[in-house]
Amino acid sequence: MIASEWLKLRSVSSTRYAIGAAALVIVLGAVWSFYVGTLADARGSIRAAAPEEGFLPLVQISLALVGVLAVTAEYGTGTIRPSLTAVPRRRALLAAKATVVAAATTLPALAVIFITHAVSHLIAGDRAVGYNAGSFGDDLPLLLGSVLSVTVLALVGLGLGVVTRSTAAAVGSVVGLLFVLPGIAPYLPQPWNVRVGAWMLPNLVPQIAGERISTRLDGLLPPAAAVAVLAGYALVALVAAFLVFERRDA
Amino acid sequence: MCGAPAFPDREGVIEVKQLTKRYGRARAVDDLSFTVQPGHVTGFLGPNGAGKSTTMRLILGLDTPTSGEALVNGRRYATLGRPLHEVGALLDANALHPTRSAYNHLLWMARSNGIDPVRVAEVLEQVGLAGVARKKAGGFSLGMKQRLGIAAALLGDPGVLLFDEPVNGLDPDGVRWIRDLMRSLAAEGRTVLLSSHLMSEMALTADRIVIVGRGRLIVETSVKDLTERYDSLESAYLALTAGSVEYGAAR
Amino acid sequence: MNVLAAEWLKIRSIRSNHLILAISLGAILLAVAVAMSAIAMYDSAPASMRAGARIAELEEVVLIVPQLAMGIMGVLAITSEYATGLIRTSFALVPGRRPVLAAKSVVVGGLGLVVGPVVVFATYAVSWWMLESRYPVAGFADRLPTLVTSSLTVAVYALLGLGLGAVLRSAAGAIAILVGLVYVIPMIVGNLPEPWSERLGSVMLGALPREITGEDLTSSVYGALLSPFAAAVALVLYAAVPLGSGLLLIRGRDV
Ligand SMILES: Nc1ncnc2c1ncn2[C@@H]1O[C@H](COP(=O)(O)OP(=O)(O)O)[C@@H](O)[C@H]1O
Ligand SMILES: [Mg+2]
Repeated sequence: MIASEWLKLRSVSSTRYAIGAAALVIVLGAVWSFYVGTLADARGSIRAAAPEEGFLPLVQISLALVGVLAVTAEYGTGTIRPSLTAVPRRRALLAAKATVVAAATTLPALAVIFITHAVSHLIAGDRAVGYNAGSFGDDLPLLLGSVLSVTVLALVGLGLGVVTRSTAAAVGSVVGLLFVLPGIAPYLPQPWNVRVGAWMLPNLVPQIAGERISTRLDGLLPPAAAVAVLAGYALVALVAAFLVFERRDA
Repeated sequence: MCGAPAFPDREGVIEVKQLTKRYGRARAVDDLSFTVQPGHVTGFLGPNGAGKSTTMRLILGLDTPTSGEALVNGRRYATLGRPLHEVGALLDANALHPTRSAYNHLLWMARSNGIDPVRVAEVLEQVGLAGVARKKAGGFSLGMKQRLGIAAALLGDPGVLLFDEPVNGLDPDGVRWIRDLMRSLAAEGRTVLLSSHLMSEMALTADRIVIVGRGRLIVETSVKDLTERYDSLESAYLALTAGSVEYGAAR
Repeated sequence: MNVLAAEWLKIRSIRSNHLILAISLGAILLAVAVAMSAIAMYDSAPASMRAGARIAELEEVVLIVPQLAMGIMGVLAITSEYATGLIRTSFALVPGRRPVLAAKSVVVGGLGLVVGPVVVFATYAVSWWMLESRYPVAGFADRLPTLVTSSLTVAVYALLGLGLGAVLRSAAGAIAILVGLVYVIPMIVGNLPEPWSERLGSVMLGALPREITGEDLTSSVYGALLSPFAAAVALVLYAAVPLGSGLLLIRGRDV
């Protein structure tokens, strides 16, 4: 069943576009690193953001789309019915989809983020560009947290896709979680900006690495708690999806 | 209708002239020519993938021909001002917004071609959907969707009608109803082009037959002629299309 | 006129559009919630801190909700027709095709022109009534130019969404690009080294309303290099370029 879900996901052309868009980050990261390198040559040293962090939203939104479309494409074309006829055990079907989506997004995210990291360090060489100040061990939590955030977003996308059955509604909700709510949180009066902001999905990544959320916002959650909250997002979305999917008429 | 027809002698005539449509390298329609006259039901037959739906899309100006042309009432469809008054078509009964009601589905169509909203109630009555007019079309059975699609085709009281497999999903009553409707539309002097796979049904409904295979014309004749030469329309069809039942368009 | 009436009926007879309007107007409630939390926080603060209490403009905080919601309405106004096959009916009824997209623009843009000002001015009223006694809230006359330009962006988003939908014919693709334009690219631009951050930040959609009114943008990720006139032109282009491309492409494509 996992094999058949994998085949379905692979044969949807939008999956390939989405992974392609995520992979674009490697190219953008290289361009970025060259540019930053020339600036460092001119100015001596510079504090530039790491490209795999700066371009992370592109990876996140592209691969979240993979999760959404894995299910809404079937509702859109009506192929959900044959899928359910072929696999009447709906829980198993959804579990297979979730497994495939997790694998099909985690591996590209892992590859894109680590390759971008490696390429940007290679290009920077021994120039002081800011993002190469720490060792690989220092950067590792942030890199792994970034990868995990992509997996979680794809699973959240899948869950929202099942619940809403609509590409637009599911993508809109993902955008809400990824951009709109985190954009509104900093405007809450203190201390609510930190209390609420710390739980926002994209803000969990820096907290996993024990860093500040942004120049304006301190972190609140210790790394282990941030990982748990991040996983909680996926869990809530998937539980909702399982409950809805089992009871609803196709 | 607006004024006198531009080509009185071609009023109600569908002319397909050396029509070719390629998708990439595949030829869905290949140098196809035939004419459909008013006052008859013309059956449009051919194996799956023969190019029937593509031909209808080309007639309706939805796809651009690679070469050749299709004319309705002597004009290209794309030049018609308010086409619903001249041509009605049912291409795909599932082409509906699932949360829009049947009534609103027909009403927007009426609005776009300046048709009196009274017609909406009339055609809903005519196809037997008056009772579910306010229901969401997404909840309809395929048979009900077919009826809604037929209602849409009849909305502008057009002289030319195209139906792409309207019988699919209908119950025996519905099949009978379509047969009678098609025949009465033709008896009123309208042009009816009807594609279907149901050979026995076609034998009862159509007067004239156009058979295509792999995008090419195989035969254009009357049902009477075919049933005289073969023992039934079905055996005629099977004999004539024997060489062209191959999925995928001709390369 | 006929086509316009038909497109208006199409938009208003779909349930998801009612939901989108409700979400857009829900931004006003969101503003009330933010204001209430601000009040609670003010009242629990020690008197010494009250004098310096500041709060961001509520309109700026919640505006993204109607912007995105109406952008998605614009996208769906055309991509849902491609998804269901209804586009063939629409184009068979109006063989010229362009009037269909033009009428959709009028309907969706018109709704944006209503929703935007309603949300922005209602939210300003909320901040005036609820917050004015505790926080500094700029006077109506001072805020008016920015309120007007911000409220107009909602229509721009709606038309941008429609144009992207017409070009791409896919809801997922169009929404992804819309989000890319309004979130991902500005984030990346904000991280660029100077002078590029300032230069590119000045042409981001989010920077334009306050460039038009000449407001201070130094504390934001955006730049402020454009003159009011140039910013107004850029704002129009955000809607006009995708819509124009849609109008060009829609004619010749097979459906
Ligand atoms: N939009 C399209 N793109 C590519 N190929 C198409 C398209 N539409 C139809 N075809 C191909 O053209 C051929 C004729 O299809 P169609 O007209 O649907 O046949 P019919 O209606 O007779 O079953 C088929 O091989 C089909 O795969
Ligand atoms: Mg067909």
